[in-house]
Order: sequence, then structure tokens, then C-alpha cells
Amino acid sequence: MGILPEIQNVANQRIVEVLVSKLRRRQLVGSRQTAIETVLVLRQVVAKARFSNIEQLIQIIKAVGRRLVQAQPKGVYPSPVYSFPVHSIGLLNASAFVSLPYPEHTVGNTVRKVLHHVREEYHAVSRAGPSTQTQKSSFLISKFVSQGQPRKQTLAAPKSEARTTSLRENDPDDPDSFAKGLKPVLMEAIQDVLDELETVYDNVSKSARDHIHSDEIVLTIGHSKTVESFLKAAAHYRNYTVIVAESAPSFGGHEMARSLSSAGISTFLVPDSSIYALMSRVNKCILGAHAILANGGMFAITGSLLAVSAAQAHSTPVVVCAGQFKLTPLWNLYHEYGALDFADPSSVLGFEEGSLVDKVDVVNPYFDYVGPELINVYITNDGDHPPSSVYRLIKESYDDEDHEL
Amino acid sequence: MSSAAGPPPEDAGQSSAPPGTPPVKSQKQMTKAERREIQERQRAAKAEKAAQNQSKNPGKSSNKPAQTSKESAPAPRKVSKPAEAAPRGAQGAAGQSKDTKTGGEDKPAHTRGLRIFSHFGLPKPTSHKGEVHPAIVRLGLQFSEFKITGANARCIATLTSFKTVIQDYVTPPNNTLSRHLMTYLSPQISYLVNVRPMSVTMGNAIRQLKLDISGTDIDLPEQDAKDALCGKIDTYIRDRIIAADQVIEETAGNKIKDGDAILTYARSSVVEKVLLAAYADGKEFTVTVVDSRPMLEGKKLLKVLSSAGIQCTYLLLPAVGSVITEISMVLVGAHSLHSNGAVFSRAGTALVAMMAKQHSVPVVVCCETYKFSETVQLDSFARNELAPLELFKSFPRNNEEDSSSLGDRPNLQILNPLYDLTPPSSITAVVTEVGVIPPSSISSIPLALGRTIL
Repeated sequence: MGILPEIQNVANQRIVEVLVSKLRRRQLVGSRQTAIETVLVLRQVVAKARFSNIEQLIQIIKAVGRRLVQAQPKGVYPSPVYSFPVHSIGLLNASAFVSLPYPEHTVGNTVRKVLHHVREEYHAVSRAGPSTQTQKSSFLISKFVSQGQPRKQTLAAPKSEARTTSLRENDPDDPDSFAKGLKPVLMEAIQDVLDELETVYDNVSKSARDHIHSDEIVLTIGHSKTVESFLKAAAHYRNYTVIVAESAPSFGGHEMARSLSSAGISTFLVPDSSIYALMSRVNKCILGAHAILANGGMFAITGSLLAVSAAQAHSTPVVVCAGQFKLTPLWNLYHEYGALDFADPSSVLGFEEGSLVDKVDVVNPYFDYVGPELINVYITNDGDHPPSSVYRLIKESYDDEDHEL
Repeated sequence: MSSAAGPPPEDAGQSSAPPGTPPVKSQKQMTKAERREIQERQRAAKAEKAAQNQSKNPGKSSNKPAQTSKESAPAPRKVSKPAEAAPRGAQGAAGQSKDTKTGGEDKPAHTRGLRIFSHFGLPKPTSHKGEVHPAIVRLGLQFSEFKITGANARCIATLTSFKTVIQDYVTPPNNTLSRHLMTYLSPQISYLVNVRPMSVTMGNAIRQLKLDISGTDIDLPEQDAKDALCGKIDTYIRDRIIAADQVIEETAGNKIKDGDAILTYARSSVVEKVLLAAYADGKEFTVTVVDSRPMLEGKKLLKVLSSAGIQCTYLLLPAVGSVITEISMVLVGAHSLHSNGAVFSRAGTALVAMMAKQHSVPVVVCCETYKFSETVQLDSFARNELAPLELFKSFPRNNEEDSSSLGDRPNLQILNPLYDLTPPSSITAVVTEVGVIPPSSISSIPLALGRTIL
């Protein structure tokens, strides 16, 4: 477990293990933070890695990715602390509910993104002559659907002039030349990914003033940093009201309300029970996502499904703000609900309830699954997209062979 | 706007704008000093203009300090007097918005927000305790501290207290019981309403009581009349509540089959009785109790059910989406039923009913007929009640300091509406003592009871 054969470099292994233990201990808070740390680790790994052809590099990165993803097991197994007698409720037939951290999909997403960029750079660099073919009028919709956007190869052409000839894979005399030649380009690519991550909040908030109008009443749930920066950015231009539903039992809404009201936005903090009651006055529902799935649906904090359904009942538009690093090439086929991950039940029914603890099952899921038909638009750092085009974004950001790390 | 807490810092040019419009954007970015400067300049300009006019404006400008102090007095009552606020705001829009510029920019948040929710009842400071019977005072205290909650409980408690009041009542000379008792009871009733807005059940019961009082035979000796009234009250409770509940237990119990997974929300006394009766009948089923802040009443129901031996699951409202696919029936109670078939019930019921309907789970509302109200209510804003903040700080694990610091921030309001309206489209059937009724036929309940009013 600690020793990855693909990474012969001891220093790299140490870096990876540090991140692994941070993930396990929940020392990383927030999807974006996790993504940034992952990119930094990958950058160091690539910088110190030794490889003589592209496949080796990809294997190294994939191995690191697998290790990181495995550091946060998703699933249920008996927990020694909370031993509730369980009576199965249909599909929720786990043997006991655990208090494990939910998996951060962003780790896997970041690894996939880095792999995608690595491959792209490699293809750009190693394509000597035939980089001129793209000017043919081959823009067919069928090709578009199967291949995604035409790759931006021509941009890389001038950079690669000096290097195309010197890149030789698997050179027996000089095994490091390939790596040496490719690394600077890779470093830039990885830096791009890092830059994108660091400017996520700013980019998402760019379109804030177009989405929120004067005197609107906006509903949000819990605490999403992306939504927070979006609303604060809009507050510079518009005067509007926000209703924040504290989301029990994590009560993230309190933090959100505190932060928004300090920014001068008039805020109402309400319990989740009044979402339907207030929805008739709400103009927009703005939510955050934990992960955006391949079909355009999303995993979001519990309570999102309620809010989104209530919004649909009132024909209120639902807007989701998320960075592109949350796009995940996963599906949620077998479960209508996202409740495979559960949180600590004592925040719902604590031990102070005494005798009840033994007799009662407590369900405290982390996430809801919200289907694509309930969402109107995703506002990402790369623009606004309807849920029906999420599949295309995934095709463009990740490579097919990376879906399974 | 007259709701005195203060107005948005309006520009002079926007005098004709209705109160509560957003201030010019740049104001937010200026420092406080700059804003004060602008306000001073505008005030001076207005004072000049006002000096020329002969309209009410000069009166207002010069009396500004007096007026703001007068207006700040009603400030604590502004939530309960929205009707005055609106016309006052409309008339004095021009003068008012300039006058009340003394408020800082945190005030606009309050004013604008409270305009939307201002008609929700908040408990008012009580007065005129002198005329109020001690039993009623005690009842009022129990209501205001939410020791007695729930439509049925409140109604029964109210009627019981009124029995005490009636027994203690002495008809003054030259008056008849049937006429004077009503005037004697009125301040008691308004005291209770001040403490907490009247529930529909209390309203119906009191209306019935008034009818009985005015129908009292004048020739009866006083004690007999009082006893007769108390007897009628007892009959009312027995027939419309207790007996009705028994019929509902049986009818709804027939809907529960072995192996059912039943979901209920918060705590309804009727649903509790139904579930206990069905379990005592030997039916095998599991119950999922969904609960929510601010009242967390579901825990009480949970205790009762699990001590009876029913297998229960407990979860908070946001998690409903995850379990609804496993549920076979949703059983909820109601605060009141309306003619259009809508059910007014504890906040959160609408969400549960909506989710259930989306997953084709039948939603059954258990409700006695005396909860019927002829009014038609369109949404949760028409009448609602806000829970007082001090009572509901039951954050289980978070630090107490966090939650208390939320209360005194500018721009931040905490709202706890207690009720919401479930539209008839989300309800499958209503079980009453006169039968199982689809929501569209609710308006025929009075006819079913053989009377034109309840």
C-alpha cells in the first residue's frame, strides 16, 4: 500500500503518502482545496519522475491517482463506535452506517484532467509534420459528437518546432532525453490546471450580475463557497435578498448567512421546513454541487433535492454554481438517491436521547442525487451550460481511457 | 416607509420611488462619512424646499425627531401592524423617504424583509392583565412558551380554561348571562390571541361556544345556565375531538396493512393515536419519523412509538429524498383544512407531501371535521406564524456562541415560520370522522354534518 512500484522515486512516494494521510484524516476541507493539493502533488511527481516513453509517465500518474482515490474508500463497513441494530429498509441494506468521510470526487477528476493535458501536450509535441491537416472542412456534427471539440493543436505547433526532432522515445543511449524534452511542456500544462483551479471562484462569479437582478429573492442551501462568491460578486452591482436554508444537521447555512450578511446582503436564515412555504416568493434557486455527473445530474448536499423539487413545483429556475473540476465521468444508475454515504448519526439523534439510541435507526445521508431534468443551468468557470451538454464537457476535459483510473 | 426602523438611504432624486427601492449602487462603496455628507446635503436641500411648501411636508420635516421617536415606538409592533404600514408608506412616500433618512444602511434590510413577512404574527407584548382570569393567564403562558402545542391540544386546553372561567363568572345585576358573558369573555380571548395567534380549532370552538351562550335560556338560574354551558363544552370536546379521533383511528387503521412502511412528519396527536391503535391491533409495520427544526416535535412521537414497541427510523427533513422510495404510505396530521382542499399544517409537511407525490406514495391526512375552515388559502403567506427565536436554539452539536451571534447582525434576519400550506394536488385523501374524502370534496364536509356552518 505504501510502496508503488511505478514510482521508483522515494521522494515522490513520500509526497503522495502525505496527501493520502491528509485525505484520510479530513484535514483538507473543501473540494477546491483538495483539487489544488492534488495538482501540486502531481506536479512534483511529474517533475521528479523518470520515464522514457509516454506510456510510463501515464502509468505513473494513474498509479498515483489510484492511490489517492483509494485513500478515501467509498462504501460501508462495520464501524466499532456506533453499533445500531439495523433493520433493513429495502435497498438501504448496509450492515451498519458509518461515519466516514465522503469521497472527494475532485481528486480523481484532477488526476484525469492532468492526464488529459499531458496527453494533449504530448500529441502536440510529437506530431511533427501532419499538424496542418486541421484546416480541412471536416467539421461534421457526427465527428463532433464522437470526438468532442476539435483539439487545439495548431496553438502548440510553434512551441514544438524546436523539439519535435529531439524527442525520441525509448532511446537506449539516452533514456532521459525524452523525459527532459517533454517535462517543461508538461510543467506548463500542469500550471494551467493549477491556474484554472485558483481562479475558479472569480470566473464563476463573472456572470453573476447577469444572473441576479435587482430586488430578487434568491434561495440557497447550506454553505457552498462557489455560491458564496457568486452572490457576493452580484452584491456589488445589485441589491437583492437571499434566503438561506440552514441545512440540518450540518447547519452549513449558518456560516453562509453570517458571511453573506457581513458582505452587506440582506439575508434571511430559515429552517429547511419552510422551503416550500417561501418558494412562492423566491425568484431563483441557486445551489452548489459536490460533483456533477456524466448525465448532467449532480450530487449535492442533502436537502437539495427538496429545494429543487419545490422549485420545480413553483416553476422557479434552478441554477447550480460549480467549478469545472467537479465534472465527474460517473453515473448514478442504480440508486435513485445519492445516499450511499452517511454521516455521523449522533448529530441527528444524539446519545443524550438515552434509551432511544438502541431502538431506533437513524439515517443521515451526506448527499442527494438530483436528476438533470430538475436543473436549469450549470454556471461553471468556463461559462454557463445546460445539463444536456455536460456529456460534451466531460468529453473535452477528460480522456475516455481515464474514466477508470 | 413608515415602518420606522428606517428607510433605505434614498437619493434626493428618487423621492417618488416607493419605499424600499434599492439605493444607488455607488452608495454601498462610499465610506460612511461620505454617505453622511450626502445625507446632510440632501436634508438641507429638503428643508429649504419644505419651508416653501404649504403641504404636510414641512410639518414632517420639522417634526422629524418627534416623528422618528413616535415611529420608533410602534417599531416593535411593526410586525403586527402591516396594514397601517402600507397606507402610511403609500401616502407619505415623498415626504417620508426623505425624512427617515437617519437610519443607517442596515435598516433597509429590515424594512424590506419585514415587508414580505410582516403580517406573520409574532407574539406581542401582553397588557391589560387585570381583567383576565388567572386560568387564562396561565394558559397564555403555556402557549407562549410552547408547552402546549398542536391544534387539538390547544383547543382542549382553551375550552377547559373557559369552563373554569364560566364557573367563576358572576352575572352583574341588571344583566343577563347570555348577553354579558360574551363581553366578559372577549378580553380573555384577545389576551390569548395576543400571546399566540388563534388556531382554527380554537376559533371554531369559540364560535360554537358563543352560539351556545347566546342560545341560553334567559329564565334559567345562573348556576344551571353555567352548568349547562360547561356540559355543552364537554359534549363538544367529546364529540368533535375524542370520538372523532376514535373513528379516524379505525378508518385510517384499515388503510394500514402488514409490512407497510409508514412515514409521518413531526408530531400529530391523531397520527400518534392511529399508529398506536393499529399496532395494538396486531398489525406489523415500521414507521419513519421525519423531524425538523425549529420545534423538533418528532422526537416526542419517536419516544412514544418506540416505547410501544414499534420499529422506528428517525431522520431530519433534508434526508427525506433518500428514503421516500422505501415508503408505502405517508400519514400526516393537519392544523386546518380549507375549502379548496388545501391542508394547513406544520411547516415541512408540504415538502414531505410533494416528495411523496412525486414518487407515487399515497399521502393521507388525518383530520377531524372541526378543523375545517371556510376560508380559501392560496399559499403559506396568507396566514402564518413565526416562532419566537429565543425558544428554538436547539442546535445539537454546534457551539452555543455561534448560534447566539447570529441574532444581532445587521442584514441578517432569522425566520421560523411554523406552518405551511400543502396544495390539494399533493394530497391523496383526507380521513375524517365522516369518511375518507378526496381533497376536492372537502368543501362538502359541512353538508355531510348536516349543518351549514360548523
